[in-house]
Amino acid sequence: MASVTTDIPATIESARVKAAAPQRQYPGALVVVEGIDGSGKSTQLYLLKRWLEIGGYRIHFTEWNSSPLVKSATRRGKQRRLLTPATFSLLHAADFADRCERQILPLLHGGYLVLADRYVYTAFARDAARGCSPHWLRNLYSFAPIPDITFYFRAPLDVAVTRIVAGRPKLKYYEAGMDLGISLDRAESFRIFQERILSNYDQMIDTDNFVLMDGTVRVNKLQKQMRQIVGERIDLSQFAPKKK
Amino acid sequence: MKRSPKNAASASSNGRGSRSSHKILAAATEAPSRFYGIPLPGVRIEELSGTLVVIEGTDGSGRSTQISLLTEWLESQGFAVQTMGLRRSYLVGEDIDALLAENAVTRTTLALMYSTDFFDQLERRILPALRSGLIVLADRYIFTLIARAVVRGIGRDYLHGMYEMALRPDLTFWLDVKPEIAFDREFKKAHTISYWESGRDMSLSNDLFQSFIRYQSMIRREFEYLSKRHGFIELDGEGSVTQVNRVLRKRIASHLGIRSTHYQPSHALSHLWR
Repeated sequence: MASVTTDIPATIESARVKAAAPQRQYPGALVVVEGIDGSGKSTQLYLLKRWLEIGGYRIHFTEWNSSPLVKSATRRGKQRRLLTPATFSLLHAADFADRCERQILPLLHGGYLVLADRYVYTAFARDAARGCSPHWLRNLYSFAPIPDITFYFRAPLDVAVTRIVAGRPKLKYYEAGMDLGISLDRAESFRIFQERILSNYDQMIDTDNFVLMDGTVRVNKLQKQMRQIVGERIDLSQFAPKKK
Repeated sequence: MKRSPKNAASASSNGRGSRSSHKILAAATEAPSRFYGIPLPGVRIEELSGTLVVIEGTDGSGRSTQISLLTEWLESQGFAVQTMGLRRSYLVGEDIDALLAENAVTRTTLALMYSTDFFDQLERRILPALRSGLIVLADRYIFTLIARAVVRGIGRDYLHGMYEMALRPDLTFWLDVKPEIAFDREFKKAHTISYWESGRDMSLSNDLFQSFIRYQSMIRREFEYLSKRHGFIELDGEGSVTQVNRVLRKRIASHLGIRSTHYQPSHALSHLWR
């Protein structure tokens, strides 16, 4: 063989793509919540959404893995357990891209306050726990706008795991990270998988400017903090109902 | 296409040594890189004894014809063959067909769906075939996917990053044809030109012929760039089927160490031999 392939440039220089920070060129704002299952993030975002809805603000709520686009593929892949770390990750990225290009970006350009239950950091934490390269993941999602606020709800592993296991009759295969072959016991596998994800989240606190929220604080007290931070960091008046 | 992986031994004899000068991207490891960047999780390169041959080229370049003929020739020589192509994955192949039919899909989403399709085939069909020593004939590869996305304005760096876990082919042939010739061939075949092959989503021209020519010219320019970068073997796709096939056989034979390149298609394929 030889001569044909030896001159191939050694690498594809994708490498140093830092999350190519898309400049904020829109009037809207983006608030996201992140954290492991059972950290209380969805409850808190729901309450924030209710507060803004009741106040009549221009908002839109979006959640991870909700687009009809990849539903059939995800179902097929999960039912028959065909997903590998790479295809699992790519499928979710496709789903997110669809939501981003057809929902989140147009709404930000249209001057909405967009609330997202989970964002790209979910993929960074979870897919890296599956063995995908963090660098590859960062590049994959580099088209995503950077949030104005990222709330990171952190609860101790035991608290979070207890909340989830108590509320669910059976942990699902991928949810429990069974594809990683860590343990044959689903509860045990889930726990170890969540532990890895938690540690990946923790590493992003500084690099991605997470606002750390203590998931063990009482719900209403935590919500009060959350609303206060939103009020301080975002000029809510621009999303307020027009006075007649 | 299910074929038994017999005769693996002869396929595995070709050396991988010439690649050892290429270091894995951004990693301190000394292993020869069969990947462009970071290897896929869980893949052991030394297990891959088969050979990956890629045939690239636009619609109307004669790829599928050549792959049918090469498959027969290789099987007649005792090599087992596996094929891959775009939108053929179990996971999302049909979903992409549906998305294209609706043309309601945006460019990044489409690029990521194609990437999912590619890696599903790579991990669940191609790598197992290469582990068993098969010859994999790829009817298009990441290069078409990269070119299509680049002409739609997605960054090269982004795309190369997306495919850095792809396997580097042993041989990549590019059947180059002028867009005008490709148009004639496609039109003869289907009596129309497809929405996507003429790049109509890009609003290049309301005239279908103009749109096709401009779109295919953009793709061709990107291929010229990719060809230099990745050492494609460029073949004149405007030559006759028999001429092109002879060159393909010669290159593949020398790579696999097959002495004789003689080939006469069976009756079943004789209609392609022109």
